[in-house]
Order: sequence, then structure tokens, then C-alpha cells
Amino acid sequence: MATRGAQQLRRAGASQHESFLRHAGYRWLKVALVVSFVAILIYGFHHPSPRPGGGTWYGYVLGTIGALLILWLTMLGLRKRAMTTGAWSLKAWTSAHVYLGLALVVIGTLHTGFQFGWNVHTLAYVLMMLVIISGIYGITAYSVLPRALSDNRGETTQLQMLESLRNLDRQLHDAAQPLDHRFAAMVRMSLDDDPFGGSLLTRLSGRYPDCGTRAAQAAIREVTGHRPAIGVDPLEKVDVLLERKEAALSRIRQHLRLKALLEVWLYIHVPLTFALIAALTAHIVSVFFYWG
Amino acid sequence: MSFIVRQISRTADGREIIRPRTFDQPQLSVGRDPSCDIHLPDLAVTLHHALVRETRPGHIEVSASAGLPFDVDGRSTEQAEIDTARGGHIRIGGHLLTVSRGEGDEAGATIIAVERVAAISDASDAKDEQKVFSLAAVAPGKRIMAWTLALLVLLLCLVWPIWSFYSNDQADAGVDRAKAFHADEMWSSGKLSLVHAKLENNCKACHLQPGVAVTDDSCTACHSKVHDHADPRRLAAAMGRPPLGRQFQLAVSNAFNRPPGRCADCHIEHQGRGAMPAAPQKFCADCHADLSKRLPDTKILNASDFGRPQGHPQFRPAIMTRPGPNPTVQRLSLDARPLEDNGLKFPHDVHLSTTNGVARMARTLGDRYGFGKALVCANCHVPDSTGTRFQPVSMEKNCQMCHDLAFDKVGDTYRTLRHGDPKQVAADLRAFYRSTGPARPISLGSMRRRPGDFVAERALVDYEQAAARYGGRAEVAIHAVFSPGGACFDCHEISRIGPDDYRVVPVRLPQRYMMKGWFDHKAHETESCESCHTARTSASASDVLLPKIETCQRCHGGEDARKAVPSSCAMCHDYHMSATAPLMARDARTRGRTPDRPYPPAISGAGGGTPSAG
Repeated sequence: MATRGAQQLRRAGASQHESFLRHAGYRWLKVALVVSFVAILIYGFHHPSPRPGGGTWYGYVLGTIGALLILWLTMLGLRKRAMTTGAWSLKAWTSAHVYLGLALVVIGTLHTGFQFGWNVHTLAYVLMMLVIISGIYGITAYSVLPRALSDNRGETTQLQMLESLRNLDRQLHDAAQPLDHRFAAMVRMSLDDDPFGGSLLTRLSGRYPDCGTRAAQAAIREVTGHRPAIGVDPLEKVDVLLERKEAALSRIRQHLRLKALLEVWLYIHVPLTFALIAALTAHIVSVFFYWG
Repeated sequence: MSFIVRQISRTADGREIIRPRTFDQPQLSVGRDPSCDIHLPDLAVTLHHALVRETRPGHIEVSASAGLPFDVDGRSTEQAEIDTARGGHIRIGGHLLTVSRGEGDEAGATIIAVERVAAISDASDAKDEQKVFSLAAVAPGKRIMAWTLALLVLLLCLVWPIWSFYSNDQADAGVDRAKAFHADEMWSSGKLSLVHAKLENNCKACHLQPGVAVTDDSCTACHSKVHDHADPRRLAAAMGRPPLGRQFQLAVSNAFNRPPGRCADCHIEHQGRGAMPAAPQKFCADCHADLSKRLPDTKILNASDFGRPQGHPQFRPAIMTRPGPNPTVQRLSLDARPLEDNGLKFPHDVHLSTTNGVARMARTLGDRYGFGKALVCANCHVPDSTGTRFQPVSMEKNCQMCHDLAFDKVGDTYRTLRHGDPKQVAADLRAFYRSTGPARPISLGSMRRRPGDFVAERALVDYEQAAARYGGRAEVAIHAVFSPGGACFDCHEISRIGPDDYRVVPVRLPQRYMMKGWFDHKAHETESCESCHTARTSASASDVLLPKIETCQRCHGGEDARKAVPSSCAMCHDYHMSATAPLMARDARTRGRTPDRPYPPAISGAGGGTPSAG
């Protein structure tokens, strides 16, 4: 049924989704390929003395194009806040951002003439490459992770996930009321644990070795493990609830992990872009300051 | 003595619901157990946590029942007394018990308001859903990172180097900058060449003013002797009008305050540690390929590429055509088969033969002089200290061991004619005949003779007559020495000025034929001498034994040639010609041996004007 529905949609055409990567029949991919090819071709036929680099006429041309391109690519940060449609839609802009950004690898590298060193010039290049590599990661993440995120989430929303956790906590709290202080403390390990805690690395790895719920369950099972389950022990109910809570937590944690993987590149891409523009400024000023 | 306990709870929309309950008893139990008077459904509270008791009117005492503390007005304690008139807050687990004294209808009663103030779990706390589920909750903000990084880079890579430039007083004072890290070195686009490595940490040594391209003044401050390639006007004429693309490039360069024609145009620095790269072939060929078109009066022949036909003229070595005190030296093309006359008669073939008397003599003297079975080139031609050329060949070092000038023996000492001084030769011979008689016949014995010994008497008479005429034979001997078959005449050109006055034309063996180019014998060690010089078949010293360009072209081609040795102009020629080797030859020599330079560095030796022989 679903397949048929999708086919119908495709036939209708109007509401079919087209990703920014495929925008306008890969228009910007083609542009980027042509630009890169031409740049490489000229580089191949250009034999400057004593060797290629940023100081030759072609080096200056590539450098100017590269610097302007970097500034334009950065403008996406402003442009994305205004969603429009049409030939210069946000999608077209994003598509151009991705493909021209990739072409920058060719333009920037040819600009260096493969001369690298421990200096501000190579710093700018390295920052540029890091920004581009993080961008490539971002595109990959955007094309792979949303499906995994959706599969993990099922039909629930984030709020529903949180609510189910709160429900479980309430039930745990109620179920633990008759317990003496020692067992109450065990249950509190689970209740007081912050499900959103942990460091950036914990988020990215999805590993929570200090999970309070797991610790609480282990502690309780140590006591109840050898007893027969007769169905009246409040600890048994707590045990069941802890198990449910752990399942809910693992889904939330997987969700957090996927979201973190989806977002983390921007924490490199954006700050390094600003560092890059600063390094680029220093690079250009230094060239004109110590004019050769 | 009564307590009024008000259980306060809140609805979802925050409205308060108060359930009051009055206790007429002296004490209240507090705990999680439902049987407690004040029931706190809180896992942080023990089943029976505390007792509240009125000690005297207006005062209550709170004490822990299970030894677990609670907070009274923020202080953790197990027992506390509270003045109900002043009131107090007791915190047990997530619950807050507010104590106050009843007023009006409730006068005399102690009021305890009970409210849950903490969420039952961490997850139940109020949370911003958008934030907690996003990475923003655990990562530093993008914006703050962006600005921090940008500011850091600007400070480190822009502000600091600029400060370093303006605080560089050493360069202004003309002294070396302290060997340390200076921030403006971060701007260096590459290592300086070997000769300028010392300036590595002193950018201002060359980059005098910000925004101004390196001027020639920076270079000539040290390189004071380097002269121009040619008269600037002729240079401009030779260049002609550049093509459109180049014109545009020059216009842009000018617009950006980078005037053309500076030293730094060709001597491009920051290309890495190593020798400064020599100018490429095109740099020379741009003018020299068809120089005669733009400079019709030039004596320099067109040259564009060493390997191509017509790409380089035939060698024109400096050849002495007339010897003497004022010799004539001409640049003659090897194609014209020029004959050299340097005043010496010397057949190479005779001396290099393996079968004749020379070879036999070499074998005889071999032990003493290091000769082999026959003479070889190296027996006379010994490389000089640089290996580029050869030590001058001289009579004393190279000829005299065979071409002996001895004419007399006194005891075991030989007397020899003085080489290089014909008058002295004549005087020595004359003195010889004057001071000595002919050898006395042994038969004469002593001067006493026996009577009747006629044979001895005849001999004595003959001897005395010969001795009397002996001095006159000097003329004959002198003439013989300077005539064909004589010791001098065999090797030298002799002219007779007077009856007793002979002159020898001075011999000047050239140390260097290619005065405008450079040839390094050391670089050709792997070749045999005969592969270029046909000395073995040369019967006369007038043969110019230099190889023609075609011989060189067997291995050497132009810069882009696919031959064994691609050779641009700079391999043999220097733009700023000096007595030292061209830049590229120097580089080739110094490759792999950094500080040990075979030639004096350009900075002190360059620019000496015209190159000198040797």
C-alpha cells in the first residue's frame, strides 16, 4: 500500500522531495567539476619560475577566487535564516554551498602550489581543509543518520520519550514507598540520575558506564536474586520497573547519540570557519605587509 | 498543645490545594510510613524519620528517629529547637516543613505546612526539551567558540607579528637580530635559500617598510659589487615590447606597488632551504633568441637553446694567433678551424705515443716521476685546487725531466742553461769555453815527459794549440743552441737580433679559452680526456684541441631536452658575469655539501667586472 502511495505521489510530482544534493539535476556539481577541471588544466600548463605557488600570477588568481569563495560560502550562515524558493532558493544556495565548497579543495590546494610549512599560510589552508572535511562529514551524516534516527524513535516524539521516562519514575517512586531506607536509596540512584548527563564523548559514544538505573537494578538483584519470586515483594515490582526504565533509557540514549552525531560537525564547521576567516585575514595582510 | 498540619499540593496548572489536619497530641511522627502523622511519600525520607515535640509553649523540638539528619533553616542536624513565633524551615528529603505559630482561631497551635519542593526524579524536573535533546546541552556554544577561535588566531597570527615587526630595532640599527623565535617568522612563506639563511629571523633585513615590495636597496646593502647585465638602455631595447598578457601582468604588478625590474623579480626567495634557483632558460632566451633583430649592432650571436639546431652558435674560444710580448688574441669560431700560435712548438702525438723514444724515456724515468708505460695527459696537466681548470704547464715542472738543459759536470753536479733567459744562456756558454780547456788527453799524464817521447810531445802540442783556440768555439755552441737541432730551437720560436743576440718568443699557454662561458673539468671527471680532446693525433701545437659544440651536445641538451644532461643557459653563463663560476655550476658543486663552498661566495667576489683568465 505504502509503495503504491509513493508511486502516486511521484506521479503527481508536485510534492516530491528533492534533496539539495540533487538540486536542479546536479547543476552545481557540474559547475564545481568544470571549475575544478579548468583550474587543474591551467595548473598543468602553467610553468612558473621557480615553481608554482601563491606568488605567481596564477597563484594570485586562485587565491583571490578562493578567498571570495570562502566569504560567500560563509554567507550561508546568514542566508539560511531566510527561506525562499525559486532559482535562488535556499536549497539552490545550499547545493551551491556544498559543491563549490568541495571545489575549494582543488582551488585552495593549487593555490598553495603544494608548498607547506609551519606558517600562517599553511594554517589557513589546514583550517580550510578541516572546515571542508567537517562539511563532508555533515553531508554524509545528513544522508545516513536521519533514517537511523527515525527507526530508533519509532512513532514517538522526544517529548513522549521524556514523558514515558517521567511516568516510569513516578511508578518507581510509588512502588518503592514501602521499602526501607536501604532499598529506597538504591531506587533513588536511578531516580536521581540525569538521563541527559554525561560529557560530549559520552553522548557521541552512547556508552554510559555510570548509569544509575543499571546500578540500582544490579544492587536490587543482588538481594532478590536468590529469593523465589512470589509476586508480593515490592522489590520485584521495582525490579520490573527498573528494567522498563532501562529499555526506555537505551532508546533515548541511542536517540541522543544519533542526534549528537548529526550535530557535532557543526561544532567544528562553524567555529573553524571563523578561525579560517581570521587566518585568511592574517594570510592576506601578511602577504601585502611583507610584499615580496 | 495542638498541631495543625497543612499538606500542600499543586495542580497541573500550579494552583495550591491545602489539606489541613489538626492533631491534639504532644508529638508528631514524621516519615515515609503511612502510619506516620506527617506522611512524606519520599524515598529520601526513612520510614520513621523524625519526631516533632512541643517542649514548652511556643517552642518545638525536632529530633531524628533513625539517626538520619535533616536540615533546619539550611543547617544539617539531628536535633533542633524552633521558636514557633519566629518560625522555621525543616527540610527532609524533597519535602519542606514550614513551622509557624497559629493566629486568630488557631492561636496557640503550631502550624506545620508540608510541601514537596523537589521533583521525584531528575527526569521529572522541568527541562527544556529542545535543549536537553540537542548537543548544545553538553558542548560549548558554537558562537562563543567561533569568536574565541577567531580572536585567538587574529591575536597570534596578525597582531603579534605586526608588533614583532615594529619592535625590531636591530634591523634598523643594522645588527643581527637575536637568535630566537620572532612572531613575524610565522609569516614566512618558506625557508630562505642557503646564502640568506642567516637572515631567517630578521624579516626587516629585506622587508624594510610594510606594504612596500622589497627594493634593490635591500640587496645592494650587502651585494655592493654586482654589476648590471648590460647598459640599462640597451637592456630595455633588447627586451622589446612584451606580449599583451605580460603587459597586463606588469600593469597589475605596478598597480599593487610591485614595480618590475627589481632584483627580487628574478631572485625569488622563500623557496626553501637550498641554493637559490638559477634563472630558467626562457628568462635568457626571451631576449637572446633573436637579439640581432632588436639590437642590430650587437656582437653577441643569437642563442635560444643549447640542444636545438641553430639554438646556440659554435664555440668561439679566445685564441692567440700571434705570440710575443703583445700577442693577438681573437675570438674565433671552431668551425673556421683556427690555428693557434702561442709561441711553443709541441707535438702532442709524439709525447703521447706508446712506442717511440718518449715512451721509452717515460719508462726509464717512471719510478722517479710516476710515469707509466707511456706519457698520459695527467702527467703534465694537473688539475688546479678547484678542479675546474689545470695548473699552468711549465718547463721546470713538466718538461725538464726529459728536456735536460745540462751542459757541464763539475764533480757530481750538473750545470744547466738558465731557462727563460737567452742572454744568460749565451753568457754561461761563453764562460764555459773561456774557463775550461778541452779535455786533457789521458796519455799526457803529468807535465813531465821523457826525452824522445815524440808521441806525447805531438799530443801535447795538439792539445796546447786546441786549448789556445778553445774560447772561440763558444760562438759556435751558442749558435747551435738557438738553431734547428739545438736545445732552445726545438721547442721555441727564435729570432736573431744581432750576431750574438737571440730572442725567444715568450710562450703564453692559455689557462682558459672560453672567456664568456664556463667549463668545469671536475664535473666531467667521468669522461676520458680523449673523448673530447683529440690530442693523440695532433702533430702541432697550432691545433686547437677544444671540442666543438657538437661534442658537448652528445650529452647536453636544452633545458627541456630529453638528453642525459638537460642544460639551461645558467649552467655555463651568468647573468651578472663575474670571475666566479655561474650560479648553477656553484649549486651543482655545493649540492650535498652545504657550508663548504668551492668558490668564494658571490657576496664578496661577485661583480669584479670583466672575468680574468685563470
